[in-house]
Amino acid sequence: MTEAHTIDAAERLLMATTLRGLAEELDGTELNQALDEFGFADLLAEAPRDAVSALFTALGRTGSMSTSLQDVLLQPLAEHLPMAAMECNVVLPGPGISAAAYVGAGERELLAVRGLVIGARPAPTYLAPVAISGELAWIGLQESSGISIRRVGGLDPALAMTEITGVDVAADVIVAGKWAVAAWDAVATAGRLALGYQILGAVGQMIDLAVDHARSRVQFGRPIGSFQAVRNRLADAHVAREGAAAALASAWDADDAVLAGLLAKSLAGRAARIAATQCQQVLAGIGFTAEHPFHRFLARALVLDSVLGSAAELPAVIGARVISAGSVPRLVDL
Amino acid sequence: MEVREFRAGVQAWIDEVGESLVPAIEDQSVEAQLNHQRRVQRLLFDAGWMRWGWPTRIGGLGGSPILRAVLGEELTSRALVHTTSWSMHEVLGPAVAEFGRPDLVEDIFPLLLRGEEFWCQGFSEPDAGSDLGSMRTTARPRSDGWVINGEKLWTSWAHHATRCVVLARTGGPGSRGISAFLVDMDTPGVTASPLETMAGVDEFCSTSFVDVEVPAERLLDELDAGWRVAQFILSCERGPIFWQRGAWLAHHLGLLLDPADEEASSALGEAYQLLWAFRATSKSTQDRIPAGDLPGPEASVDKIMIAAADQAVFDLARDLLRGDMETDDSARSQAWRREWAYSRAATIYGGTSEIQKDIVASRLLGLPRSA
Repeated sequence: MTEAHTIDAAERLLMATTLRGLAEELDGTELNQALDEFGFADLLAEAPRDAVSALFTALGRTGSMSTSLQDVLLQPLAEHLPMAAMECNVVLPGPGISAAAYVGAGERELLAVRGLVIGARPAPTYLAPVAISGELAWIGLQESSGISIRRVGGLDPALAMTEITGVDVAADVIVAGKWAVAAWDAVATAGRLALGYQILGAVGQMIDLAVDHARSRVQFGRPIGSFQAVRNRLADAHVAREGAAAALASAWDADDAVLAGLLAKSLAGRAARIAATQCQQVLAGIGFTAEHPFHRFLARALVLDSVLGSAAELPAVIGARVISAGSVPRLVDL
Repeated sequence: MEVREFRAGVQAWIDEVGESLVPAIEDQSVEAQLNHQRRVQRLLFDAGWMRWGWPTRIGGLGGSPILRAVLGEELTSRALVHTTSWSMHEVLGPAVAEFGRPDLVEDIFPLLLRGEEFWCQGFSEPDAGSDLGSMRTTARPRSDGWVINGEKLWTSWAHHATRCVVLARTGGPGSRGISAFLVDMDTPGVTASPLETMAGVDEFCSTSFVDVEVPAERLLDELDAGWRVAQFILSCERGPIFWQRGAWLAHHLGLLLDPADEEASSALGEAYQLLWAFRATSKSTQDRIPAGDLPGPEASVDKIMIAAADQAVFDLARDLLRGDMETDDSARSQAWRREWAYSRAATIYGGTSEIQKDIVASRLLGLPRSA
């Protein structure tokens, strides 16, 4: 994951501000259109780190949704797919499945499929990583494949998530073999980083809401933010956020990109859980109401935590990789 | 000297010198630890590696301070030196170089780098721990110098040290009336008594100062500027020292891969990810140092993180080395026991985690001051 093009600090700031502005004003189809006009796809190809960090942080901060995750997931597949497939949606393994599993498994003509699409594009065509007789392959899916498509409500109905399920699905294999495995690693890693930034955007929003409340809410004649018990909670959330942000930033330079992606996503999910608990407690009654925006960011962060490996699942995956490597990877050097 | 070239050079040198750099596990006393370090430092000084990253005017060879972090990392990640004693010149060296009288610094600094001198830090007192600004040790003017009286606590290595940076009150109450002095430990009236700790190492001392005469030129920085010197020293602890402590933790985590089975993978992954969160955060702190940026309140985050990683690694060790820590008396288990016990203090020394969180709350999150 090297930078194809380096942009300077001023350009980066301008880009981040512009994307944040678009995500604040627009949502859904309108945001997609604005991102097309902005040239997000080109930016993603030229400077993936800048493009992904700026847009997905903005999405997390604002709670808006676009189809950009599909751009990010398809990018590593681009050189191996026919152009037509580039308008597809990538199906990710659903939560509750262990982090190492794929979207489906079975024999070529009898696949059981269950997965999620986040921020789906309008065309109901899909690409899914599945295990066919134990071997990873990327298959194409559409309505005629015998799948069901359900718009997910769940904990965060605004997330624009779709569930794809099917039994005895006939596989239309697009790629298989060694490359399919490499592609899955690249797609999952790209997805983990993008979702990591989106989670941290939502975490940042949770912390800001709780900090504002702690500064203005007066009890016992003092702002509650002057009480050490409250201060410690918010400091814990901040520290968790900073660790995850540093892990995300370092992941782009790490020599083991897959491991770095797993770590960044795991730490982002961990920050989500810590911030959700600590900030909710600081916001107390008002944060529990539907009228206060806090719950939207809590739901967004926790649902995204559950995709591509949660903070509860990933440490075991990470630990197993380190144990089998037989040494503790430094990942980046000074 | 480029970082990459320096790292490769240090690694090649370590391979070449070989086994004789490895400390003997049989004798884990502080004396043995320091004697070993003296020998390693001398070899590194003569080979030049010890001098990179320090200014030429004080006996260094110049280059970015990052080189010092790299040297510390290469040594501690192989456990060739102990991370606590290797921190000594990094804690006090930069402050003495910055605030000491130039002629004095030129004389003594090469001795520090060569391992001929160890220095210690006289900050904490029995009644001034987290509340350092309330310290009571005094320095009163007398003829062409000062007379220091008081008691310092947790002065690491004081009984083996040649000099001590002492904070003492020269003005009114609070942090503004404090000055910093470089005191020779063989001055009459200085007594260092080792403290026994649960870690079983006599690294820490209680050090008393009774009518200790200090020449005027031993004042560091200006009169009543001791708080600035103290802040400078505390921020130095977040630099190369943290980087090499992180490498020391990674080394110990590496030793646990062998006893770790599949069941342990989640706990091991947790410890590794806390260590990685620290390393990724600390990397940006280290990268800012060559530009002259002293670690500020942001580095409180680094301190909280490394303390958490430290305890996670050694708690994992206690779980994975089943029973060894509690009941085994081999030299290896004693070493683990000592490291585990020392890790209990990670959230206490160098500013407690509570103090760091308070700094995060006020300075980084903008919360109103605590009552």
